[in-house]
Amino acid sequence: MKRLVALAVVVVLALPAAASAHATLKSVYPAFTADLRQSPKVVRLQFDQAVQLPSVEVLDTHGLDHALPARTVGTRVVAGVRTLPTGDYTIRWHVLSADGHVVSGVWTFGVRMKALPPTEAFGATGPTRTEHVVRWLYFVALALVIGSLGFRLVCLRGLALPRRVEKRLYALATTGVVGVLELGILAFCLRCEDVLQLPFGRFLYGDLSPISQGTRFGRAFIVMTLAFALVAALVYLAWLTDRPALLVPALLLAVGFAAGLSLSGHDAVDPGSSRWSELADWVHLVAASLWIGGLVSLVVAVWLVEPSLGRTAFVRFSRLATMLIALVLAAGVYLSLVRLPHLRDLWTTGYGETLLVKVSLVALALAWGAVHHFLVRPRLPAAGAGFLTRVGRSLIGESAVAIGVLLLAAILTDSKPPPQPTSSSNRVAYAGALGSSSWRK
Amino acid sequence: MQPRSEMVHWFFATGFLLLGLILLSQAIVGEAVWARRRWRVYLWPSIAFALGLLMWPVMTFFTNSAIHMLAHGAWAQALMVAGAAELGLVHGKLHNRLWRLATPVGIFVSGVAFLVHEQNAWLFARSAFLHHLIGWTLVCGSLVPLGLVLRPRSTLFQSAFALLFVALAVMLYCDRDLAPVFGHLSPLAGPPHR
Repeated sequence: MKRLVALAVVVVLALPAAASAHATLKSVYPAFTADLRQSPKVVRLQFDQAVQLPSVEVLDTHGLDHALPARTVGTRVVAGVRTLPTGDYTIRWHVLSADGHVVSGVWTFGVRMKALPPTEAFGATGPTRTEHVVRWLYFVALALVIGSLGFRLVCLRGLALPRRVEKRLYALATTGVVGVLELGILAFCLRCEDVLQLPFGRFLYGDLSPISQGTRFGRAFIVMTLAFALVAALVYLAWLTDRPALLVPALLLAVGFAAGLSLSGHDAVDPGSSRWSELADWVHLVAASLWIGGLVSLVVAVWLVEPSLGRTAFVRFSRLATMLIALVLAAGVYLSLVRLPHLRDLWTTGYGETLLVKVSLVALALAWGAVHHFLVRPRLPAAGAGFLTRVGRSLIGESAVAIGVLLLAAILTDSKPPPQPTSSSNRVAYAGALGSSSWRK
Repeated sequence: MQPRSEMVHWFFATGFLLLGLILLSQAIVGEAVWARRRWRVYLWPSIAFALGLLMWPVMTFFTNSAIHMLAHGAWAQALMVAGAAELGLVHGKLHNRLWRLATPVGIFVSGVAFLVHEQNAWLFARSAFLHHLIGWTLVCGSLVPLGLVLRPRSTLFQSAFALLFVALAVMLYCDRDLAPVFGHLSPLAGPPHR
């Protein structure tokens, strides 16, 4: 019996394999986000293995299908296309792989105009509440990693840190960086699921390459995932070897690659955006992360653990927070002016209303911070235990408000700002900013 | 720009082979001799951690299906966590013996990820067969480091742990349907893929 089993294993291993799991798309025509001068006569999909029962749709912005029935030619799927007028088009395809699984995908192209990215393909419904929550948690995680590292390196510089404080700071940084990685993957999958418009079971076999490699959002996901994996390694090595110096490159990487969000958000692609708006968004994001994450670190890692050290840390953080808040406000005001072309947009659009709520919460957090800065700080040297306890509670309250601000920031990031005055040149500039069409050309 | 899929598999197979041979050397000479040079005890956890870090680019760049991406993410994290926990233990930063469970748990999770990401039956193709084999080898093999937690000085468990990685390396070398290093198996297999 054993020999038979062994022989069967050898035979199976030696047998040639005609196919291997589900089919993989190798190339397409029209190319991903291609800008065609004239209507394509066909749509072609080249797979790495034979596929069956192909379905190809060429949808215009109204959802009208312009494709003729698709057919397979070996490992290639071909579908004729009716003559297309100028416009943006979405191609949705499904094929039956040799293994019996349905493989699906989506990409976009334009006829005589730049195509929209696949994240704005026809049928994609845009961010959901789940995505808002995931993005909020992502912002909290980002604030934790950037804030705890910044707090450790700036506010606690030169101080002899008790073991418990070090431990909590590393725990906060680790929680933050793991959160950024995990929530980043989750956010990417949720966005892809929305773009592909597939139930979960079929989404698992969806081709994500057009989104990961052909959009700013996807490229930001790749670059930030790799950077934060490196940040995780550096934080871990700093803890393992007791070398806080390794936290410096970790912080620089985290701060630098947080720009991935700014380079793929409204301030990079929406009308009116420029290098300045990208820079302002990055400054806004990093300053807010340092402020909120630093505040949480002050409470969790120092105030609740080592109140004696807390006084010095409080004073240092108070100075740093003043600068950070100035940066947050300056960048935020500039971005509001860019995003809202008219003052009335503040109360007549959903984006403006959310921004108003966010500004109110920011004002509350600032007022709270001002009380700490101007009233609490001078009394700290002579403060008793009861006063310090109340300050600790007050800091927790300020942190909670600041985390609430991040929720509104997440909703704003996922929302569409009011439209700018449009012109044909704007439209082209907008589409041009969305990314290259070099994918699989 | 992307390296071919089989090259990535061979790269990681080489990493696991190195890992297996180091562990085998440790099992043969015994812990006392192995630890005479301090850097040696860091060797295998460091390699596991580095392999985990190097798995992230594979996860992010090979996104031709969501399940593929998620499975590679699971392997990246399992390798990093297992390597980090072992490094913390040998360096004296971690003292709780429960951290030793990170390796068996990581291996178990990796095995499950292999089984979940391979949706075909065992005999569908060679790669399907090997994915199932690797998955079950890892799932069952996770009992070996678990045994090491209970009997850390057992030569039997140490050797089995080393051979687990050697076997994994061999299976990964064979995992592609077309592996020029083993010769072109059949024209029916078509062009290289996956």
